[in-house]
Amino acid sequence: MPETTAGGVIAIGWLQLVLATGFVLLVGAISLRLALGIEKELAIATARTYLQLALLGLVLRWVFGIDSPLVVVAILVFMMAAAAQTIVRRAPDAPRGILGSSMLAILLTGFTVTFAVTGLIVQVEPWYRAQYVIPIAGMVLGNSMNGIALALERTFADMDSRAGEILALTALGATPWEAAGDTVRVAIRAGLIPTINSMAAAGIVFIPGMMTGQVLAGADPLHAAYYQIVVMLMVSAATALGSVLAVMLSFRKRFSAEGVYVEKGYRS
Amino acid sequence: MLLIAEHLSYPAEPQPGAPRVFDGVNLVLEPGELVDVVGPSGSGKTTLLRALARLLPGVGGTLVFAGAAAESVVPAEWRRHIALVPQQAVMRSGTVADNLLLPWSLRVRAQETAPDADQLREALDSVGLHEITLDRDAAKLSVGQAARVALLRVALTAPDILLLDEPDANLDDASADQVRAITARFVGGGGAVVRVRHLRSDDLAARRLRLSGGRLTGEV
Repeated sequence: MPETTAGGVIAIGWLQLVLATGFVLLVGAISLRLALGIEKELAIATARTYLQLALLGLVLRWVFGIDSPLVVVAILVFMMAAAAQTIVRRAPDAPRGILGSSMLAILLTGFTVTFAVTGLIVQVEPWYRAQYVIPIAGMVLGNSMNGIALALERTFADMDSRAGEILALTALGATPWEAAGDTVRVAIRAGLIPTINSMAAAGIVFIPGMMTGQVLAGADPLHAAYYQIVVMLMVSAATALGSVLAVMLSFRKRFSAEGVYVEKGYRS
Repeated sequence: MLLIAEHLSYPAEPQPGAPRVFDGVNLVLEPGELVDVVGPSGSGKTTLLRALARLLPGVGGTLVFAGAAAESVVPAEWRRHIALVPQQAVMRSGTVADNLLLPWSLRVRAQETAPDADQLREALDSVGLHEITLDRDAAKLSVGQAARVALLRVALTAPDILLLDEPDANLDDASADQVRAITARFVGGGGAVVRVRHLRSDDLAARRLRLSGGRLTGEV
């Protein structure tokens, strides 16, 4: 009989963790048999999963214990910096200097949406209660990070493919905003589409992650569903806000001081 | 003197070991004058036109338009007077009328009145586009038709100087004749034109300059 925690959840111990490694061994065997050549990556990724998540568990346990607003905010800022770094890595064609705009977009979106949810909707007391603030911030940041990365990648790719049109418009006297407006719209849409798709499929194609977690933890499924609705709407706002901010703050970086789009051949 | 370009060089700060595209280019343009710039392909003719329209970052030298130094004129305003027509005609999604009215959708012309439907019709007729209705989908224009619409779009804004990049290079003879007619009318009305070309020759040009080896030299 497995041991249970106070909430009635069946706890996973060392033995179960070791058993779960069996899944990875299965994937490894497939990789070897089909010569996929991903054994090394798989091993590293598995080790990282164990380490990072265990570490996260320990850190969260510590943070929940010390109950300090300063520590909570510091952790949020750390998460945001990591998200901004990831965005920059995922948009290799973007001009230098988008780290700053990504960070600013993530900071504004992260704090606004997270505390709008915890403060206005869930009404957490005190406002910095880590048990709520950190997981919600995690979902806000994870999703807006994906949206921003997609939108930025699309922004710079689309402007390159429209360089001729941008030049013609600039020659007619267009400002960078007027010349690149179509791109900005396309890019923001690209950032939002995955979120909208997952909102449309939620509950039919899959049970969203947070609701799964709450149900496993013994919550009433209907209450878990209400929570998930709030989270999905929050995620759509975070993605939209983040993509809009990041694209608006950075598309201009491909234009010269005189408002000319700097095409591939003219970049130093 | 309408436009004075002195000591234009590009790039102003070249990479070590890389030659400049052009260097020490001087050009004076009078109203009602058409100047052809010829030269081998890759000699920097397009780049020079972009420099004159202030559509090129990193150019050295001075530009003066109607007595005003470039630095004292905001770029969008400069381009309103000195209008570049790129070689590739760009049609945006929408109708022919949408495309002809595009310049007036921009903030730089917020104070100006856009041409009405009659004026647009008249303009299309004047370049042999009688069969093109104003509500025609611009994406369905042929290359020659699109080139004329693109040139007309700029000419209707009544700039002081037109910078034409190979305006008839890819066109059939009939379209090329119409493009030449628009150009001649513009010059006849007191406008100045710098035209980059390497194929056809005609008697429109008052002067022909050659850009070669980064230098712009006189009569060809």
